[in-house]
Amino acid sequence: MNWKIRRIGQAVFTVLAVLTLSFVMIRMMPGNPVDAFVARVGPQLENPQEAYERAETYMNINPQEPMHIAYVNYMADMIQGDMGRSMSQNAPVAAIMAEAIPWTLFVMSWAVFLGFAVGISLGALMAYWEGSKFDSALTGYATTITSIPFYVLALFLLMTLGYQLGWFPTGGRRPEGVAVGFNLPFMMGIIYHATLPVLSMFVASGAASLTMRGNSVRVLGEDYLRVARLRGLSDRTIAIRYVARNAILPMYTGLMIAIGTMFGGAVVLEEIFSYRGMGYYMIQAVRARDYPLMMGTFTVITIAVVIALLIADLTYGKIDPRAGSEDREAF
Amino acid sequence: MTLSRSDASTARPADDVVIELRDTSVEYGMDRGTSKVLNEVDFEVQRDEIVGVIGESGSGKSMFASAMLDAVPEPGVTTGEVIYRPEDGEPVSVTDLSKEELRRFRWEEVSMVFQGAMSSFNPVMDIRTHFVETLSAHDYDVDRGIERARELLSDLYLDPDRMLDSYPHELSGGMKQRVLIALSLVLEPEVLVMDEPTAALDLLMQRSIVSLLEEIKEKHDLTIVFITHDLPLVADLADRLAVLYAFEFAEVGPSEDILENPAHPYTRALLNATPNLSAPLEEMRPIEGESPDPVNIPDGCSYHPRCPLSDEQCVESDPGPYDAGPEHDVHCHHWEQSVEDIDVAFAETDERAFTSAAEKAVDEPLVSLSDVEVTFGSENDGWLDFGEDETVSAVDGVSLDVYENDVLVLVGESGCGKTTLGKTAVGLQRPTGGSIEYRQRDIWEGSGGTSSLADEEIRRALQIVHQDPGSSLNSHQRVRTILEQPLKRWHPELDGNDRRERILGMLEYVGITPPEDYVERYPHQLSGGEQQRIALIRTMLINPDLILADEAVSALDVSLRVGMMDLMIELQDAFDTSFLFISHDLSNARYLAEKTGGRIGVMYLGRLVEVGSAERIIQNPQHPYTKALRWATPELGEEAREDPPIRTIDIPDAQDPPSGCRYHTRCPEAREVCTTESPEFVDVGDETQIQRSACFRALDEHPYWQSDPIADDS
Ligand code: SF4
Ligand code: SF4
Repeated sequence: MNWKIRRIGQAVFTVLAVLTLSFVMIRMMPGNPVDAFVARVGPQLENPQEAYERAETYMNINPQEPMHIAYVNYMADMIQGDMGRSMSQNAPVAAIMAEAIPWTLFVMSWAVFLGFAVGISLGALMAYWEGSKFDSALTGYATTITSIPFYVLALFLLMTLGYQLGWFPTGGRRPEGVAVGFNLPFMMGIIYHATLPVLSMFVASGAASLTMRGNSVRVLGEDYLRVARLRGLSDRTIAIRYVARNAILPMYTGLMIAIGTMFGGAVVLEEIFSYRGMGYYMIQAVRARDYPLMMGTFTVITIAVVIALLIADLTYGKIDPRAGSEDREAF
Repeated sequence: MTLSRSDASTARPADDVVIELRDTSVEYGMDRGTSKVLNEVDFEVQRDEIVGVIGESGSGKSMFASAMLDAVPEPGVTTGEVIYRPEDGEPVSVTDLSKEELRRFRWEEVSMVFQGAMSSFNPVMDIRTHFVETLSAHDYDVDRGIERARELLSDLYLDPDRMLDSYPHELSGGMKQRVLIALSLVLEPEVLVMDEPTAALDLLMQRSIVSLLEEIKEKHDLTIVFITHDLPLVADLADRLAVLYAFEFAEVGPSEDILENPAHPYTRALLNATPNLSAPLEEMRPIEGESPDPVNIPDGCSYHPRCPLSDEQCVESDPGPYDAGPEHDVHCHHWEQSVEDIDVAFAETDERAFTSAAEKAVDEPLVSLSDVEVTFGSENDGWLDFGEDETVSAVDGVSLDVYENDVLVLVGESGCGKTTLGKTAVGLQRPTGGSIEYRQRDIWEGSGGTSSLADEEIRRALQIVHQDPGSSLNSHQRVRTILEQPLKRWHPELDGNDRRERILGMLEYVGITPPEDYVERYPHQLSGGEQQRIALIRTMLINPDLILADEAVSALDVSLRVGMMDLMIELQDAFDTSFLFISHDLSNARYLAEKTGGRIGVMYLGRLVEVGSAERIIQNPQHPYTKALRWATPELGEEAREDPPIRTIDIPDAQDPPSGCRYHTRCPEAREVCTTESPEFVDVGDETQIQRSACFRALDEHPYWQSDPIADDS
């Protein structure tokens, strides 16, 4: 129990640290965006005082306030979900995020889910036929695909399936001229638009299948498997409750970490496919020197990773009874 | 020499055979040729007997076990006949069963407990699920089955509720082993095959389990096949003993007969090589040579390359079973000669005068530990750490002196802190309390907060030989390079030639010949025994004053152990070093300590409870715990086996050790005062023999004698 509280405390601490860091970067570094903003905008305004107010709207920081008060206000705003206002999009950052995040989540969760599902199934089959032609062929394939960076694959898919063959759209995230909502054409349409980005993230399946293969082979050699066979358990029970469960368990944390890192991948991928998700806005923000939006996406991604890891840690104990208790048999 | 070859197996009275092996072989196809890991053996298991099968590693004993259930691991192939005769009903040919029939046969008729008991359970399922699964896979009534499981668990001195609700990792090794035995009996099989079931456990636990087996066997009408490398362990349990050598049986017969009149040269050699507590040390002899490779089993008698009696006949023809007494078969052409000559063949005495521990004790100590404490685990550390205090005290206030040219052997169950104490003594573990002095200098002086010693000289003086020699040698370096390093570092005055001479000399000294050939090898080209010797030489070349040898012989085969121990003793004497041995085996401890006039120290839950000369600790232990260890060390040919002199089998949790005398939870002599007061060392030695014991019973005057005995709740 205590351990959980401690773990949550750590997560909260990390988030606060990231927010503080963003404050330091925006406000305290020499040549920081707030000062730059005031210096740039101030002279153009009739009332220079207004520059400070604008800085406050956009970046949640009033440069006139003493540092510690500015910090407290900034943190309070951020924690309440007010991430300032984007200059390039001219809309509240929070609103932009709220609109963009579902799309990113949609693509990324599909990519992660499919990647792991395919990887685990392939890995299990490879382990089952360990040493066969099937195994070596797939191992070769998996090793190759793992070593390709996903954005290279993305560009390749975009070139071939998108531009040359024209099977899939080369940009955008939803069909045109279809009513938005839970209707079939719209649903199909968004899946259609998401296909190429999802396929590009498929490279992760290679790594997953190799891990799964290794884990399964290891479990197959465990003593408890031999005992289970001697005990006369059915092949099905052994395959599912003994091999699969023990082989997948160690990958669970990996899955959560993958979800976290996928957000990073989203930045590049959404840019390549002009997919208007969070990553897309992040790049836009960098181009337009839109600090509020940049910091907003940055914090959201960080928090997402922290939360994914927190969930992984907290739920791991539920599925693996060994978690949290160290082995103290020998010292 | 004309010996008639009587067909021994038919000379038997009408017997009630439950499993019969005829011409059974197990083969593995390998690149180098076919590997025959069981070579055409015939064997009969009688109903309701306990038969002990003795074999060293690589004798084919595990294959023998698996063959009885036709459960040889892939891709091994079992040939020949394996016949199972149920009490009522037709004999079953196990090798001809269909997959489904085999699935039912195993565990319902014959079940098996094998070596890997520590990992025999699915780590993500609780124990109850293991029982339920097994019962339902065989269509047994689950409720009745669980009832039986509870009964079995309590017969094995386990708390059924606690066990069933636990996950495997929550149980100690000894508990897991007993739970596995219960699991193997839950379907009421006729036969239980046990392959090294206790090998990974402490002696006290092994012995307790073995003594429970007999009761279990009586209660449940079992036939037990107990396979082990440890002859003394089964000697008094088994009705019959069978000795496996090189994938064949060398000798089979009633236990007493085998122990008192072993007929096969190998059995005789094995008995001589087995360290024990009572036999004169001069009679313990290692067996020369190594077991054969299963790809290349020698023609004729497979023991002939190592046998002192071998002749033409042995090389040419396979020795069939000769009748060496009632129900006693031996596979040796010259068994009669063996009975007469073999002891002579090994007799050879060596006399060496050692200063006894009592005399050494007047000198200045070489290394002196005073009130050493080692605590592991984190206490609360920092403001984000809400965790509770989880510390384990591994060593709790131990004071000990090691003298020049001294040998001290620490014994105790695993988790008693003997390894930690050993490492602390040689500066590999920083104590959390107390001090360690090397020639009156604090060894941690000047090292700041680091975990390594500051003083070069002390670092050189204190060395360790690792438990696993293979892993301590750099696999990318040749033996020459490995051995040159310490010389270069500690003896820079030697030039290349001198170094070479020194290394070759050492190799030759420890019996690695030809040394010129060996220095060019890599560690993986050496056998386990050779690696161990190289590791030992490397340490000796540093010229240390004290060497810590942690379980240095327990990984070796029985037949090699005595040889290795002799070598260490010889080196200790030749190099004038002191040794601190760590062992969980009292017979090894006795061998080492008695031969060198050293001491044995007994540890329990982080404390030293008794220390004394080998003679005293073995012949006249004062502390009740030492007595229990003494009981746990089986004796060859010792008939009377009393009940365990302990009240509970399992060791208390080291995280929460008992108050007062830490042994009071298990001590049969414990009285009320033991639960609150902690006994100090009492000197019970005399001028010639050292012995100190931490128990109130060693004092004539103590409130202990007026205190009430602890009510026994078991
Ligand atoms: S048959 Fe010959 S070689 Fe084999 S054990 Fe007997 S005497 Fe030795
Ligand atoms: S002090 Fe008491 S509990 Fe401890 S060993 Fe002696 S009699 Fe047993």
